[in-house]
Amino acid sequence: MKKQLGFIGKVSGLLLTSLLVLNPATAKTLKLAYDADPVSLDIHEQLSGGMLQLSHMTHDPLVRWAQDLSFEPRLATSWERTDENTVRFKLREGVKFHSGNTLTAADFKWTFDRLKTSKDFKGIFSNFKALNVIDDNTIDLVTDGPYPLVMHTATYIFPMDSKFYAGKDENGKDKAEIVKDGASYASTHTSGTGPFKVTSREQGVKVVFDRFADYWDKDSKGNVSQVVMTPIKDNQTRVAALLSGDVDFIAPVAPNEFGQIEANDKVQLVTMAGTRVITFQLNQERREEFKDQKVRQAMAYAVNNEGIVQKIMKGFATTASQMSPKGYLGHNESLKPRFNLEKAKQLMSESGYPDGFTVTMMAPNNRYVNDEKIAQAVAAMLSKINIKVDLKTMPKAQYWPEFDKRAADMLMIGWHSDTEDSANFYEFLAMTPNKETGMGAYNSGNYSSKMVDETTMKANKETDDAKRAAMLQSIEKQIYDDAAFIPLHWQNLAWASRKGVNIKPIVNAMNFPYIGDLAID
Amino acid sequence: MLQFLLKRFLQAIVVMLIISLLSFSIKDKLGDPLREMTGQSVSEAEREVMRDEMGLNDPFLVQYGRFIKDALHGDLGTSYFHKLPTMTVILKKLPATLELTFAASLIIIFLSIPLGVFSAIKPKHWFSKFIMAVSIVGISIPVFLTALALIYIFSVKLGWMPSFGRGETVHLFGYWETNFLTKDGILHIIMPAIALSSIMLPLFIRLVRAEMLEVLSSEYVKFAKAKGLKAGKIYFKHALKNTMLPVITVGGVQIGIMVAYTILTESVFQWPGMGFMFLEAVNRSDIPLIVAYIMFVGFLFVVVNTLVDLLYGVINPTVNLLGKSK
Amino acid sequence: MSLLEIENLTIEFPNRHGTEVAVDKVSLSVNAGEILGLVGESGAGKSTIGNGIVQLLSKPGRVAAGKVTLNGEVISGLQGESIRKIRGSKIGFIFQDPMTSLNPLFTIENQMVETIINCLGVSYKEALERSIELLTKVGIPEPEVRIKQYPHQFSGGMRQRVVIAIALSGEPDLIIADEPTTALDVSVQDQILKLIQDLCTDLQVGCILVTHDMGVIANVTNRVAVLYRGKLVEIGETKDVLGNPQHPYTQSLISAVPLAGKKVDRFPLVETIESIESGLKSIDVTTHWLGQSSQHHNTDDLLIIKDLNLSFLTQDAFFKKNRKRLQATDNVSFSVKQGESFGLVGESGSGKSTIARMIAGLQQPDSGSIVYDGVELINNPDKEKVKSVRQRLQMIFQNPYSSLNSRMKIKDIIAEPILYHHLAKTNEVEGIVGDLLDHVGLGRKSGVKYPHEFSGGQRQRISIARALATRPRLLICDEPTSALDVSVQAQILNLLKDLQDELGLTMLFISHDLPVIRQMCDRVAIMRQGKILELQQTEDLFEHPKDKYTRELLDLMPRFDDLTHDLNANSHV
Repeated sequence: MKKQLGFIGKVSGLLLTSLLVLNPATAKTLKLAYDADPVSLDIHEQLSGGMLQLSHMTHDPLVRWAQDLSFEPRLATSWERTDENTVRFKLREGVKFHSGNTLTAADFKWTFDRLKTSKDFKGIFSNFKALNVIDDNTIDLVTDGPYPLVMHTATYIFPMDSKFYAGKDENGKDKAEIVKDGASYASTHTSGTGPFKVTSREQGVKVVFDRFADYWDKDSKGNVSQVVMTPIKDNQTRVAALLSGDVDFIAPVAPNEFGQIEANDKVQLVTMAGTRVITFQLNQERREEFKDQKVRQAMAYAVNNEGIVQKIMKGFATTASQMSPKGYLGHNESLKPRFNLEKAKQLMSESGYPDGFTVTMMAPNNRYVNDEKIAQAVAAMLSKINIKVDLKTMPKAQYWPEFDKRAADMLMIGWHSDTEDSANFYEFLAMTPNKETGMGAYNSGNYSSKMVDETTMKANKETDDAKRAAMLQSIEKQIYDDAAFIPLHWQNLAWASRKGVNIKPIVNAMNFPYIGDLAID
Repeated sequence: MLQFLLKRFLQAIVVMLIISLLSFSIKDKLGDPLREMTGQSVSEAEREVMRDEMGLNDPFLVQYGRFIKDALHGDLGTSYFHKLPTMTVILKKLPATLELTFAASLIIIFLSIPLGVFSAIKPKHWFSKFIMAVSIVGISIPVFLTALALIYIFSVKLGWMPSFGRGETVHLFGYWETNFLTKDGILHIIMPAIALSSIMLPLFIRLVRAEMLEVLSSEYVKFAKAKGLKAGKIYFKHALKNTMLPVITVGGVQIGIMVAYTILTESVFQWPGMGFMFLEAVNRSDIPLIVAYIMFVGFLFVVVNTLVDLLYGVINPTVNLLGKSK
Repeated sequence: MSLLEIENLTIEFPNRHGTEVAVDKVSLSVNAGEILGLVGESGAGKSTIGNGIVQLLSKPGRVAAGKVTLNGEVISGLQGESIRKIRGSKIGFIFQDPMTSLNPLFTIENQMVETIINCLGVSYKEALERSIELLTKVGIPEPEVRIKQYPHQFSGGMRQRVVIAIALSGEPDLIIADEPTTALDVSVQDQILKLIQDLCTDLQVGCILVTHDMGVIANVTNRVAVLYRGKLVEIGETKDVLGNPQHPYTQSLISAVPLAGKKVDRFPLVETIESIESGLKSIDVTTHWLGQSSQHHNTDDLLIIKDLNLSFLTQDAFFKKNRKRLQATDNVSFSVKQGESFGLVGESGSGKSTIARMIAGLQQPDSGSIVYDGVELINNPDKEKVKSVRQRLQMIFQNPYSSLNSRMKIKDIIAEPILYHHLAKTNEVEGIVGDLLDHVGLGRKSGVKYPHEFSGGQRQRISIARALATRPRLLICDEPTSALDVSVQAQILNLLKDLQDELGLTMLFISHDLPVIRQMCDRVAIMRQGKILELQQTEDLFEHPKDKYTRELLDLMPRFDDLTHDLNANSHV
């Protein structure tokens, strides 16, 4: 018996040592399941959440957002405003691309020029004149005029390996070409400076990333040596995959699944207030009634958005009375949710519509969390002030063309500011629609306020944060008083992982987890 | 024989032409692909430029003509999402779907025939009554519910089965990826195959039972009894083969329908096959892929029907497909 | 000692309402080499006796009492394996329809050899040799070749020969032939009966021949047993029973058989069979709705058919020259006079039913013309006109059950065409339907029942009532009584005759049954392979047939006129 025990002890000792040899602290595989995989490896092809998630894995930006929405140095080690129109960045030295090339200031210039040609990105770089190379480790970002969002925008500058993309591919096409509706060299080949390089990829099935051995950030706590990213479309399957141990980390998590995750002691749920606001716009061109401020206010008073957050979102959202979420400069603390049915009825009487009217409403049914249920709830709430709602919901693929046609009196829209700044909300949702300037592109309600238009433009040139905050908050107040539309809530974000996969420090309100810094116990 | 195949081939082309015309005529209702290809801040004017470049603003007939012209050169368009020729994408996904359908068919065949035959031979037996009762319940449970229940019980609670995907596959002949050669692959295919078969299994049990009952009451079975044959020979030689004729006909069509059901099963299990690909294409308004998929499925239906007819001809001597003179 | 002895055989079918006695204390015997006829109408229990002997009763039937002895060995009450060893080896079976007795998916070789191996336990090689021998014996040419073929490659008569060969393959002592020729054409029937007769004599095998056909009984049986509702009413030498029946049922049954040799005005009815509802109101057609058919053209020829052609594709091919076609009708021309009964006679495949279908518009001819009531029906651009004349032309089919919608009440089935064609005011329809039901002998009360609640003869009455509901001038009767028993046939034929007299109907009567044709028709056309061979007044055709084929048909007609001559002369018709 003793002999046997000794034998087992020897074997397990051997096993233990071999495990230690084979599996040093860094040799960890993360099985990751998102609802979709990136559409391309070309990070400039599309400006979307999925592409930014990829960008933070394969590339590094100049600076990135920290969880508290401050800027964290990455490839830029420091920065300073040298004049009204210029910010100077000092670059990190000794950074390598996956291809083995060394990152230089020239790569930044090349990347900036490419961004200016990208259909998706050129919008947010429209205020930038040039990226000037000062020396090998110094660049200047130059704007047309004073611009407050230089650092915000710098989070989008992930330098690409200009030498890697030089020349022609086997089809004679320029390797750097951005192609949206077909294959290109850049969409299938990538070389970034990021913590992970792509080892294999089957669109829609699996992407395998291996840790980049020469990654510059040796201080990172990240110890994931391989990431296997699988898209799992179905919410319930994704959760089941986590619960059964088939994957380690999932996002997003639907509110309906929270219970299952919280009930299981092997997994953890991490939630965070998000920045995507959900609203209903009131089309003043289609409906005479909506031109009446009192009617709009009545509707805003009639909608119990707190109730929607509690009952439908199960608390997984933050009730909104404005567009800017907390943490944004424009967030105006004084604006409170204002559900008050009596007040709403009174306003309807005052406006001369005590008996109400009938309106049409459209909403998607697979775009936002619980979008269809929310629309139904709003319709029911409006019926209390005698506004009968004729609701139609449809898949997002069909919804957007209808939205573009302004096909109903009330349309649902959710918005996340690409710049993580309040002005972006106003530019797209609140400013008077204008084909030439491109402003108000998603303002389907045709709300128009001179004050909002002018103050937004002014704020876009104000580089003093305090002054700018005052301007942006005054815009929120104006929109609130005008009841330009019906604000509902900001969607929260949720991730879940196996315990021991410490996702909490690496997730953020922008929803691009910094997997490179992920530490697994 | 050659004639028969030639006829079917022509038929397939006609079917695909009609399908392509139909799917082309509704493609504007499938959503705006540009929405999926561009970020929210890209202006409508920019999108319009892209639509022009992609030829999406051309008149219907011009677009359709271009499609047909390309199709004649073997090009059924390029998927917006996969950025590959649609046929490449479909053929890449085809093995996964066919293997899933095949596995589900195996389950159906190996369960429905013995169970159907048993309940026809011994209709009063408690087990027959049990089979019939279960099959009534089974027919009314939606596939995705079965799938989720399987995942919940066998993956989440018991941890016996993988919850999603195809697992480890092995390459055959360079192209075909198969689940059947690794333990992991087989484990992965079991639950999707059960879920997929669940909708058809009750139907097949009932079909086999009904046909068997009918055959058992036929004159030739009575004649076989009158000849003094043993019960086993009567049931499994004389009756079963005749039972299989209508089962094959219906079964062929059902297998075609099963390819459609894979859409649900594959999306729950994240099975990387054509059905899931199609669902994603619809969500993404990936119109070239949608059109190509529908055409391909139409083609598949004709192929399946042809195979069924050939099989039927092999089993049933009264069918003269091969043009042999009597 | 006889080969087979049956004593007091009683067979019961228990059901929810009690027990139905299908065979009631029947005793009879069969000797080796002898053919015993079992005759009776449907429900008489004649097939049940055959099935009961070898325990092939369909569920829940069971032998309740009695003893069956074969070669001195009691075989009643045997179970499972013991009775299975009797089947095939000791008692061979021949069923009615050779088209369905053979498994379509196996070759003749497969089906014969398995039987021989099973019954005799010989090797495959020997079984095959025996099979070929047997096929030769039953008159299959080239047996070595044909044994490799499948049932569908044989004609009906050939298949029945194969079935007989299989029945003989276990070397049984007794053969039970259950309506072996009912599904066959007249000429084939004669050959098969002769074959059975010869085999019985040669092999000294006993045979029970179950049939409803008096002609068959008269031609081949040595003795006959008459059954009525499960009871044996009379048994004896065939010539005695038919020539001098003792039991009143046997007497009336024999008198109801249409005679080939002589035309009678009405068929004598079998009194003991289901009686017509008593107390029927007859209607005066001169004043009734039924008699007021609109638009009477007084054309002499109500129906004129000219050069009618139709061929079916029997083997498809890509190139036209390789396709094979069957000429179903080949330049057929004839006309039917107003008020006349016109008979179309032929064996299966002669094209007679195809003509009916073309007249009714169920099938389109390749060429030719059909003029009904002065209107061309073929390729007439005036579709409305065609539709309105076709409404005055109705069909009655052979199988009355399948042509009635089983989910509709009888009164709705009959009212449907009246309402569809707007032939009467809605409030009158109910009354008219009631009158029609009275008139065809069902009674208006039966209108609330469903088709399955009626017997075959009653269903045929329903389809006649439905046909009359459009007030047709021409009735096309396609084998209207082939599926019916003799006694019911007599009733239906009488009804048709009466209706014709009252309403001045014209009839196109299609049948393979020559005696029926003789009783029903004024003129007759004989068809074969799509052609009309001979067209004559009925009496002339039967007395002086011109065509060789007609003569053959008349010769092959099973007759029992001679045997029953005296009886018919004496009966009070």
